[in-house]
Amino acid sequence: MLSPSSKVPGVLALGGSLLGLLFAGYSTVDYASHLDRGLHDVHCSFIPGAPPTSEAEACRAAMYSPYSALFREAMWGGVPISLFAMGAFAFFGGFALYLLVAADRAPKRAVVFFSIVGLTPLLVSLLMLSISLTKLGHLCKTCVGIYVSSFVLASGGLLGLATLGGGIRPVLSALFPVAWLAALGVTTLMPAAVYAASVPDERPYLTKCGKLKQPQMTVGSPLKIRGTRAVRPAMFFEDPLCPTCRAFHERLLGEGVFERFDVDLVLFPLDNECNWMLDTPLHPGACIVSRAVLCGGDRTRQVLEWAYDEQIYLARAGKAGPNVLRAAIKQRWGAEMLTCVDDRKTDVLLNQHLHFASDNGIPVSTPQMYLGTQRVCDEDTDIGLRFALAELAPEVLK
Amino acid sequence: MSFARAEPSPGPAATGGSGIAGWLGATAVVMLMVGAAVSVRLWVSSATDRLERPEAEKPKVAIADQAEVGYCTPRFKEVLERVLHSCGLAQDETRRGCKPADVKTFASISDADFNELFTPLKERGGVVLFDEGMDDLDEGATKLIEEKWFKRKGARYFFVVARASKSGNQAKNRALSHRRANSVMYHLTNIAKDPTIEKKVGLLWLGNEFAQLSQDYCGWSTSRPNEKCDDEAINRSAFVSWVDCRL
Repeated sequence: MLSPSSKVPGVLALGGSLLGLLFAGYSTVDYASHLDRGLHDVHCSFIPGAPPTSEAEACRAAMYSPYSALFREAMWGGVPISLFAMGAFAFFGGFALYLLVAADRAPKRAVVFFSIVGLTPLLVSLLMLSISLTKLGHLCKTCVGIYVSSFVLASGGLLGLATLGGGIRPVLSALFPVAWLAALGVTTLMPAAVYAASVPDERPYLTKCGKLKQPQMTVGSPLKIRGTRAVRPAMFFEDPLCPTCRAFHERLLGEGVFERFDVDLVLFPLDNECNWMLDTPLHPGACIVSRAVLCGGDRTRQVLEWAYDEQIYLARAGKAGPNVLRAAIKQRWGAEMLTCVDDRKTDVLLNQHLHFASDNGIPVSTPQMYLGTQRVCDEDTDIGLRFALAELAPEVLK
Repeated sequence: MSFARAEPSPGPAATGGSGIAGWLGATAVVMLMVGAAVSVRLWVSSATDRLERPEAEKPKVAIADQAEVGYCTPRFKEVLERVLHSCGLAQDETRRGCKPADVKTFASISDADFNELFTPLKERGGVVLFDEGMDDLDEGATKLIEEKWFKRKGARYFFVVARASKSGNQAKNRALSHRRANSVMYHLTNIAKDPTIEKKVGLLWLGNEFAQLSQDYCGWSTSRPNEKCDDEAINRSAFVSWVDCRL
């Protein structure tokens, strides 16, 4: 039991709210900055005030995930949920200040109301934490900042109940909590409403990232990966050791759209062992792993997904040397696969894939997605994926 | 936030303090909300400005292209381009290949300089050797052609430069070198299964009139590494190589 005039609950609640507002603000500013379709560093630190960084894969993955925003088909990037957090924390900050100043003069209804609604950010945080752990597989530091803030806020609210034991407090009409609830709703929605009303129209930019000059391979052929409910052909240029390709693949699976595509897969390993377009290998060993994917036959998708699942290990093996990588392939897929990997025909086929890329003059980067001959811009394969699909291939979302 | 009644009354001072706190709290909520909304508006506006009026060009991304290696000097490319245009590779022309007179005219280059251009291709290319007066490919020849053809890497053009030795008259040697070039081309067509092969392979036949090879070229990769090679033998040949130059 705390003293009725204890400032601890108010200080905790106010601190948690302001910290939450700060972290939610960081998350929102990162999201909003990407509306210019550029690639930006993002905030990804437990320390408030830490500058944005390019080393923020977990935060970037969270930002690009389907769980970071609402209405992503209707609006490019959608409405980030951090906006609702900003609004809610603004309300809780003001209310916590009120309780802090009022202390033992705060009406019981106000303290109880705050202790109940103050739990909502924590409940949402627990939900997002479980999504992060089960769906994304990693935790974004900025998000953890919000989770911690929510916990501190909720603790402050609940501790407030412990101050109600003694003393005489003003009594309020039962309408007040209703009014506060309405105010919480308005405050929570306000930043999102402002955001939604002011985002630029991205539609004119969707088709400005180039086209394939010759969409058919004249020699050799792309690999076929037909989704179980395929309705739309698409061409992907991918490197099995490229983390961005893995993230793209996971995004398509996470969005539930991969099965809707009939994919022509062109391998474009960013490794100068086979790719003459690079002076130094960006992903050492990617040529060997690409050959393994080419050798997959009717298991092409399994081999590709194995390469993505084991990417960290394979990338390390690739740096250790081709024999280490070959051993890994043999261990997983058998000696027959390794014979195929080392076969000249496989090397020729991979070379044909690379020449297809050079004949089309595509950018030397992966992943790349083409719908027909139209290249889907990089920013439309991550944060704007669902919107771009709604505009360019709506059938895959049905 | 104001409080109409207290029960039991906490006294005027207490009620007044609670009222001030209420107003303070309400003001803070409004200010934080407005601050959040204004910030959001500014962030979005800033991004919109950058989208609509990009200040700096986006960082240039490398574009996938054919290989371009060190030996692709301006002089090399100039001759290569002339040969490609004149021999029908660069445009959709029906004419294919270059005979000695063409090469002399279009390349505008001396014999020695012409051969010198191909020196950097020592490791990349190979010399297919023929029997005297013959144009058929033996096992070593097909093996060498396949080995070279399938090590394409990033090259765009494949050259076949056929020759004949000094023995015999000019017309006969011209025809012989033409047949040798065609033999190589025929084999390439069979192994490549590439409908665009005509646009990749440059055929030159020089007879015995132009750019004869010296015995030094016997040291290059040949289809008959264990046979005696001299000035005569090295010119009963077709030099084959991918050329890693962009044009």
